[in-house]
Amino acid sequence: MPSAFQPHLARIVSTRDETPDVRTLRLAFVEPDVARRFRWEPGQFAEFSVFGSGESVFTMANSPTRPEYLECTMRAVGKVSGAIRSLSVGQVLGVRGPYGNRFPVETWRGKDLVFVAGGIGMAALRSPLQFVLDNRADFGDVVLLNGARSVADLVYKDEMAAWQDGGVRVIRTVDPGGEATGWDGEVGLLPHVFERLALGPDGRIVIVCGPPIMLHFMFLALEKSGFTPEQVVTTMENKMKCGIGLCGRCTIGRVFVCRDGPVFTWAQVRAFPKDF
Amino acid sequence: MSEGAMASATRLTPDELHGWLAGMLGDKRVLAAVDEDGLRVFRSVERADQIALPTGKTRWSPKEFLFARTETLFAYSVAGNEVTLDGAPVESAEQVLVGVRPCDAAGFLRLDAIFLDGDADSLYASHRVRTTVVTVACDEAGPECFCTAVGGSPASDKGSDVHLTRVADGWLVRPVTAKGDRLTASLAGVGRAPSPEEHAEAETQSTRVAGHIRQSAIAREWAAILESRFHLPLWETLGRRCVGCGICTYVCPSCSCFDVTDTGSASCGERCRSWDSCTFAAFTRHASGHNPRATQAARYRQRVLHKFSYFPLGHDGESMCVGCGRCVQLCPVGLNVRETVQAVVAAAADGHDAGG
Amino acid sequence: MFQQSQAAATTPAVAETATWQPQIVALICNWCTYAGADSAGTARRSYPASVRAVRVPCTGRVDPLLIVKAFEQGADGVLVSGCHPGDCHYVQGNMVARRRFTVFRALMDFLGLDNRRLHFAWISASEGAKWSRAVDEVTTAVRAAGPLRDWGRTGARRSAVRLPAVPAAPRSAPSADDQRAVGGHLQRLAATLLTEGRVSVVIGYTPGSLPAQMVPAFVTRPEDAPALGWSDRCVNNLSVYLPGAVRQWGKVALVAKRCDVNGVVGLLQESQIARDDVVVIGVACPGVQDDGGLALKCHACGGDAPPHADWTVTPGGAEPGAHPSGASGAVAADPRDALVTYLESLPAEDRWAYWQDQFSSCLRCYACRAVCPLCYCAVCVAEKNRPQWIPVNIEGKANMTWNIARALHLSGRCGGCDECARDCPADVRLDLLNHRLSREIEQRFGYRSGADPAVAPPLATFRPDDPQEFIR
Repeated sequence: MPSAFQPHLARIVSTRDETPDVRTLRLAFVEPDVARRFRWEPGQFAEFSVFGSGESVFTMANSPTRPEYLECTMRAVGKVSGAIRSLSVGQVLGVRGPYGNRFPVETWRGKDLVFVAGGIGMAALRSPLQFVLDNRADFGDVVLLNGARSVADLVYKDEMAAWQDGGVRVIRTVDPGGEATGWDGEVGLLPHVFERLALGPDGRIVIVCGPPIMLHFMFLALEKSGFTPEQVVTTMENKMKCGIGLCGRCTIGRVFVCRDGPVFTWAQVRAFPKDF
Repeated sequence: MSEGAMASATRLTPDELHGWLAGMLGDKRVLAAVDEDGLRVFRSVERADQIALPTGKTRWSPKEFLFARTETLFAYSVAGNEVTLDGAPVESAEQVLVGVRPCDAAGFLRLDAIFLDGDADSLYASHRVRTTVVTVACDEAGPECFCTAVGGSPASDKGSDVHLTRVADGWLVRPVTAKGDRLTASLAGVGRAPSPEEHAEAETQSTRVAGHIRQSAIAREWAAILESRFHLPLWETLGRRCVGCGICTYVCPSCSCFDVTDTGSASCGERCRSWDSCTFAAFTRHASGHNPRATQAARYRQRVLHKFSYFPLGHDGESMCVGCGRCVQLCPVGLNVRETVQAVVAAAADGHDAGG
Repeated sequence: MFQQSQAAATTPAVAETATWQPQIVALICNWCTYAGADSAGTARRSYPASVRAVRVPCTGRVDPLLIVKAFEQGADGVLVSGCHPGDCHYVQGNMVARRRFTVFRALMDFLGLDNRRLHFAWISASEGAKWSRAVDEVTTAVRAAGPLRDWGRTGARRSAVRLPAVPAAPRSAPSADDQRAVGGHLQRLAATLLTEGRVSVVIGYTPGSLPAQMVPAFVTRPEDAPALGWSDRCVNNLSVYLPGAVRQWGKVALVAKRCDVNGVVGLLQESQIARDDVVVIGVACPGVQDDGGLALKCHACGGDAPPHADWTVTPGGAEPGAHPSGASGAVAADPRDALVTYLESLPAEDRWAYWQDQFSSCLRCYACRAVCPLCYCAVCVAEKNRPQWIPVNIEGKANMTWNIARALHLSGRCGGCDECARDCPADVRLDLLNHRLSREIEQRFGYRSGADPAVAPPLATFRPDDPQEFIR
């Protein structure tokens, strides 16, 4: 029996450059049987690998309601992501997973949702967002607040219109100084823009993903707006190697982010030791 | 130790013991503590005269025979757009670890708890199933030893398949598990039942060695106290002198963190897992440069808390540390995990109290 | 001496030699040798096809690790060739490289690598004939050496080489009274420096948890100064903490033995700290105990007061300034010299087997790096993964590459404190590697580590007339 570390093979069907260093890959499993069996939930992740370079963790970027292919959006920053970036259509990646827990989408039924995504953090929220779009009637008012340092750093630019048409109010913002000519979105940091929207806490769930500093100020803003820590959900990223709760590096206190997460409520995150 | 367990022991002469061990050499891989120019380590031995059962510990634990320093997960080859993967051949040859100290055998149980929990790690499981552990009760304790402080004992048979105890002019051999029964099957008709005096001698020895370990106990309830004291500034003082090598984790019987990397070219090679250490700065450093455990003191705290808090809290209070004391003995700067734990527990809850 | 020669293991079987072709990597300079090789081709000079040429901008660009990587990945021999000294396109690249190659060659020779596998040449653009001759000779030499099969291995130590016994310590341990007296002076001096606000921390020694053990201590309050102590078990080189301590606290007082001061000087030389950051409290140390005896590094050290100190502490008291007398105590021969000489007296294949054994047990815990004051890099070459200079795997080949890289990176910088060897859990004789290279550097370039903070490290500079007899 192959070990848990032996990945499935998946071929790159197409690629799309979101920004100069962020790329979305669309993958199809080489084995038809794997393609049928490989099922995931919004928020789960997998280990993607380039043979000869190694493995790296990325969230599945598309919703399980769109299972014909598997998508992942990654920024080329390290050895593996750089190697993935250099692959072209037709070449083969290793994929093992799905790993981790998931967004508790069934508990969101009938509620208003706000997705708040900073930078590449949007990649982790695309799967639950697509899930909501594909089950739109189950949810109340849905807002996507998407921010990046500059217009050039915004991902999924081509999809925003379709999301808007699908019943999601899309608000985009860039950091001051990051706007470009013709920019018709907001200018300002996500917590500030969020406060300007004056979205009350009643019957609302906030799903947040972004860099640590953004999360910090976002939670302060949410607290100020009256949200309880249980109403706020986030997905954490930590360096991971095994993905299955063994190798020891993603731990925060007793928690293995790979096994017990990556999705946590802010109430859970607040209780973690400050080791992240 | 119950009378029932003792009843199944056999008393062998040194020659009989040696004959029994030598008999394993034919069809099994025998791993024993050998001295190599001053370095005592477990090695695969080929000759009976290499099996000496020396007193004292090996420099590092024999965990590498269950959880190798580097192990191939699979081989890959890439030709054009096609990739072929070949799983690592599963080794099936039986191996016997001879002369394992009770602390190291306890370490195997900790590794079992980690690797065989839930979705079993198939590689670890494959090595575990083919391994038989022959332990030897300690006849001395070093100044670094503290097994008795973490629920162990120098005569413990936990984690053992066959347990040996040295008596005046021979050995007591006692199978502990079904694997042990199989390994001792060849002893039918060899040796004799131990005398009451020999039983008493074994007991005396156990008490004597345990008496040399003058380390106060690390209480089970400390696990929760330690977790609650994660934020004490004292940790910074305690971990300040840690230089960030990996000695403590690599010689440790229960440390089991690893890295997964590819070795080879873009056209062929292997994916391997290798030991890694929470004390290395690179262990948790993100590709972006952000490091969740930014200071060496934070990394030292992680090791201590994993051993004495996080693991016990998930395993019925059992310490992950088995008290072999190797990390205390070999730390270049004399850090002592046991003392660290005691200092943190002794500190006032908001303690700024200075440590070592 | 040794019972079994390893020659049998390295000589290829006759049948295999018949079909085997040597793999030789040539690292050649774009401006001279590459053009020279080109002109050899144009002139239709024939030379063996066994050489794979890798064009580099300059021999100055050839990090010896490139040579190591070639061997690690299967080369049987390596040739490095560039412009003649004085002809470098970048003026001095080849002369800096020459020093590096000198040290590298000494290291590989000490490790016992068959010297038929490693070649250096200066071949200009007009020397096509010299190129084809060099390739001929190198191919012949590598062919004679046979396939390189044993670059690193893992497992039991197999070599029968045993180092000779070290002579008895040239002096007895210092008296308990003297040690207590030094400890007392250190306590009072530390309290004074902290009280007067001249430093924010004193890094010294305090009793550890094992019998007689002394461990590093950071004292930040005058009232904690009594924790400090002194004995012949103060083994650590505390200068390893200096750069971090200066970042954290600003002014730092450091208790330093004479050998530790070499670390301080190295950090000053390489601009890791400023002289004003540190108050060096030099202790006239009569030697430390390691493994139950006087540490090897201490045999030849007279126990003199350290140079470059701001304070000097002896059993008699603490005085401002450095007071090396130049001569005190019983100076004996350095036993490391004898051990290095012994290893050099062995046939290369036995030396090779000995070091293969040494590295085979390396756990890659990186204690050697962690305790070294000169290993201060924020990101070590062992963690660089683009490209992967040091393979992550803990096995023979990777262990070879790591240990060679470490020795090379410390060459001309190592102060000889031997902390790496003392702490190595696998007992790898890193002290002998370091000592051998320090000796090479002293003999070749007249340089001793730790002497002068104002002098450039030997591998960061060159002299036009540096020896080059090993370069064809």
